[in-house]
Amino acid sequence: MTGDVRGWRVALVPESLINPPPAAGGRRFDALGLLEASGYGVLQLPPAGDHRLLLAVIADQIAEYAHHGYAVVAVGVGDEPGQGLHWRRLAPLLRRRGVALPLRHIVRWDGDLEVQAQRLAAFLAGYDLPLEEQRRWRG
Amino acid sequence: MEPNTSRKVALIAHCLLNQNAKVCEGARYPGVVSPVVEALRSRGYEILQLPCPELAFAGTRRWWAVYEQYDTPGYRTHCRRLAQAIAPRIEQHLRAGAEVVLIGLDGSPSTGVRFTSSKRDWGGRPNRPQDDWDLVEGRGVWIEELEAELARRGLPAVPATGWALDMGRYDETGSSRDLAEFLDRRERAMRIPGDGSSTPQGGAR
Repeated sequence: MTGDVRGWRVALVPESLINPPPAAGGRRFDALGLLEASGYGVLQLPPAGDHRLLLAVIADQIAEYAHHGYAVVAVGVGDEPGQGLHWRRLAPLLRRRGVALPLRHIVRWDGDLEVQAQRLAAFLAGYDLPLEEQRRWRG
Repeated sequence: MEPNTSRKVALIAHCLLNQNAKVCEGARYPGVVSPVVEALRSRGYEILQLPCPELAFAGTRRWWAVYEQYDTPGYRTHCRRLAQAIAPRIEQHLRAGAEVVLIGLDGSPSTGVRFTSSKRDWGGRPNRPQDDWDLVEGRGVWIEELEAELARRGLPAVPATGWALDMGRYDETGSSRDLAEFLDRRERAMRIPGDGSSTPQGGAR
């Protein structure tokens, strides 16, 4: 694609990682910064609650990516219900759309934030579709 | 709805967090449009990403189009479904008195705020840069439907502007300046209730 610099990688990200609460000492876990640096686009998931229609809309978008050569991952939060990913509702929606469940990485607030950031960065850097799939779709 | 100035929320066009949603040949960043995120975060805004109407309708391999091509009953029905999906989250913030702003994508047939692309008789094979549509003042189809849904819920108009990604030659510095000026006007309006600058900064449509 001429002049197009899309990264071909998308991450499902919970509300609490997009808009993180300040940690002790006023520091924040900068998941968006890590995703940006790794060239991922973001699909923001809503906070806990009943978001039936919104999750169906999000599942439609995930399916479109998964079926057309994009790598899709999920980044959850360890101490949130469903890891902030709405997995119980999202998983069947994805299955019905013929999408394998995305690989998950879990961030834990109770860990050292520096270490958590390094682990997330390593996960993001290390994941993509097999080369054959990349060549098929990405030209 | 009295403003609760401790909370500020920016509704942002989907592709400002995810350039993979752009039309073929339209992605200017790998993923996140970082100048937008930085401008919002530095002013204390939370981010609420809107769904991408074009991606879910025409797919990842679509070409660019003008307002008139998307101004169809089927696409508007699709946009209304998306608006109904995201409106409860917006309503929750507005009813709680948060300062809510909308950052769309100027020049987009769907997500344009100040400008959208238009040509009544344009169509057929896309041929950039020879394509000769016009950029006109007004909302894109998705923003029209989203605003209509918020109005149906009895909610006030959300002050809005656009990041000028689809206006032809892309000017990141100019777009950053525009956004900063818009957000700073909002800051002043919040400090001075009733200040005229609190009126929506949208297009004419």
